[in-house]
Amino acid sequence: MLSRVADHLYWMSRYIERAENIARLMQVSVELLLDSVAFGSQKADEYWTPVLAATAMEGAFRLLHPDPKPGDISHFLTLDERNPDSILSCVREARENARTVRDQISDEMWTELNALYLLVSSPTGVELLERSPQSFFEKIIHSSLQFDGITSATLSRTEGWNFLQLGRFLERADKTSRFLDIKTQTLSDSDHAVDSLQWGTILRACSAYAPYRRVHGGEVTLEKILDLLLFSVEFPRSVRFCVRMADEMLHAISETQTGRYSNPCEKLTGALLAKLSFASPAEALNIGLHQYIDELQVALNEAGQAVFETYVYIPQEYTKSLPATFVFDPLGTQQQQQQQQ
Amino acid sequence: MDANGCVRPYYQPVAERFSRMSPEELEQKVKSLELLFLKQGVTFTVYGDERGTERVFPFDPVPRVIPAHEWEEVEAGLIQRITALNLFLYDIYHEQKILKDGIIPAEVVHSAAHFRPEFVGINVPRDTYIHVCGTDLIRDQDGRYLVLEDNGRCPSGVSYVLENRAAMKRVFPQLFGTSGVRSVDTYPADLRSVLQYIAPRQTAHPVCVLLTPGVHNSAYFEHSFLARQMGIEIVEGRDLVVLDGFVYMRTTHGLQQVDVIYRRIDDDFLDPKVFRKDSMLGVPGLVDSVRRGNVALANAIGTGVADDKVTYAYVPEMIQYYLGQDPILEQVPTYLAWRDGDRKYILENLPKLVVKAANESGGYGMLIGPQASKAEIEEFRGKILANPRNYIAQPVVYFSQHPTLVDGGFEGRHVDLRPFILCGETTKVLPGGLTRVALTRGSIVVNSSQGGGSKDTWVLAD
Repeated sequence: MLSRVADHLYWMSRYIERAENIARLMQVSVELLLDSVAFGSQKADEYWTPVLAATAMEGAFRLLHPDPKPGDISHFLTLDERNPDSILSCVREARENARTVRDQISDEMWTELNALYLLVSSPTGVELLERSPQSFFEKIIHSSLQFDGITSATLSRTEGWNFLQLGRFLERADKTSRFLDIKTQTLSDSDHAVDSLQWGTILRACSAYAPYRRVHGGEVTLEKILDLLLFSVEFPRSVRFCVRMADEMLHAISETQTGRYSNPCEKLTGALLAKLSFASPAEALNIGLHQYIDELQVALNEAGQAVFETYVYIPQEYTKSLPATFVFDPLGTQQQQQQQQ
Repeated sequence: MDANGCVRPYYQPVAERFSRMSPEELEQKVKSLELLFLKQGVTFTVYGDERGTERVFPFDPVPRVIPAHEWEEVEAGLIQRITALNLFLYDIYHEQKILKDGIIPAEVVHSAAHFRPEFVGINVPRDTYIHVCGTDLIRDQDGRYLVLEDNGRCPSGVSYVLENRAAMKRVFPQLFGTSGVRSVDTYPADLRSVLQYIAPRQTAHPVCVLLTPGVHNSAYFEHSFLARQMGIEIVEGRDLVVLDGFVYMRTTHGLQQVDVIYRRIDDDFLDPKVFRKDSMLGVPGLVDSVRRGNVALANAIGTGVADDKVTYAYVPEMIQYYLGQDPILEQVPTYLAWRDGDRKYILENLPKLVVKAANESGGYGMLIGPQASKAEIEEFRGKILANPRNYIAQPVVYFSQHPTLVDGGFEGRHVDLRPFILCGETTKVLPGGLTRVALTRGSIVVNSSQGGGSKDTWVLAD
């Protein structure tokens, strides 16, 4: 498979997963608000602040809105094109990557992503978000899940599939861990009732509420939440599960036996998987949850970077033959200039 | 309709079916067609803003029907024409007999913008230069098919032929049952065979790729469509690398040698070492690899000299010279501004003529005299005087109209026809081609970039 194609497939699924996760977090946050406060009002923004933190776009937001008005955060997170990680931007990127490699994916996959993009970029999408934010977020989540299902039912299990799954699981691992981190930042002075309400939110954002009950019963404790969302071997959104899937995909790509490694990315995911497999919630809390999650995210980033360097990056020896007098001329302009008679 | 206002017999089934539909039903079907195209992303990109806007190519549901006997003649004429053009290209890139014999003035070829003197004496696989050709035809008042222009570099539009047919089958399935319409499905497989036929390494599975300028190009949908239909990789210049005169693509498992490149980028951008130095789309060293015969290009480098609009004027002579035959298809009389007599005529008659730049396409660089303002006419007068070699003029041909759905009713609109011709082991013409329709009343510009639409084109089996 072409390296560039692998890169597009990887990012296509990362972006759709990212859009889904932002929608998940916003959806449960809206639910929390529904009783008293209107979407986009002053009070609502307090709920969005942690969501903003979870997308790691706080800095960009403060830059655009030094003096934020009610509704700025929710717009920034959903339909603001200036935010590269807004739902709209993520869907557009997913779709643009898909458009580039349309020959590699099934028609049904393309149609699903394209339809979602056409919706969120249209007046209908804006209206839906205003009228019924819940339905809007639900639409994003369902479309992403549908896309996953369509992919599974229509795409051959070749390298393309592996890269696509790799992107999805690395992104999901990152987002689940970020969701957990939201809580560590607001843990200090909240009372018990608020606490368990907030943990409930995070569990539901991860579709983990019912699985939690099934495994741990009614009482919500931090240890048990970490046990499910960080270390579960069965739950498909736990960090450990996602890292194991990513590791498997990498080994399938290089056809290396699991447990061994043939390149830096397999080494990184292997090490991370071992760490998660033999850790416990108590250990994580000992180190400090925020610190522990930070280390996880650093490791996940390194793995993503290693994937790029191993499979996509153009090694220097191939690029040195480019002429030295390389005039800057935006690629898009030249692409457009090509006469299609 | 024929001259007496009666429906031509071969249109009967279509006319009947459409007459049984209410305007609302028809409107609704057309809407569902456009929605289908939008959802499937069957679009082209309109340039202008930064990102480029994707648009659905407007589609008219009334098919154009061509009876078998009419098509036979068109097909024979196209095969004759492309055969002559390929012989011409071989000749001018080798001995240039046609110039030495004075059939075509040498300066016409030497001054052609797309003539590549550096390729004189270089052999191309199977001596074929144009593998894919899109030849534009129109019908004049007398019902004769005339050649309007040849597109022998990167002709586009074939994906719409295939998608239009698929959409018609989906929305009007009943129409096809009895009509005996010839299938267009084999085009991608035929194109792939052509590519394999010119592979320098005649292995069981030569590696063919489609080289695209990239996702921002207007025809990217078509590139990815064709690659998918052919089951070959679609690559950008940065995916390819030349080492020791061989072309490779960069895959996740290292380098893989490439045998044939179906390129959809201009000669100028192919190789920054040889042509435009600033090209970011090309592959450094590609031209050298082509010269060594290690990789084949479709179409070959330098075919633009054959579809230059000045060269066009000489195609009937070429057919005579190389094949000893009379042209089966006629073409539009053409005045060449570089000839003193013709230029005088052109400048005196600008309001009556269509003026075209010799190397433009897509309806750009064109003056339609009868519809032009004084200022536009004067602008072209200046352009012609400044660069006579670059302009030709033709009388306005009010080419045929075809019933077209407009606001719930049917009206006549001007149409042309672009058949697609493939030259490999044999020369094949795709039955039908792309019928483009000028959706604006009275307009004779059918290009998608200028408000044109398209129709499904049916060639009947007998």
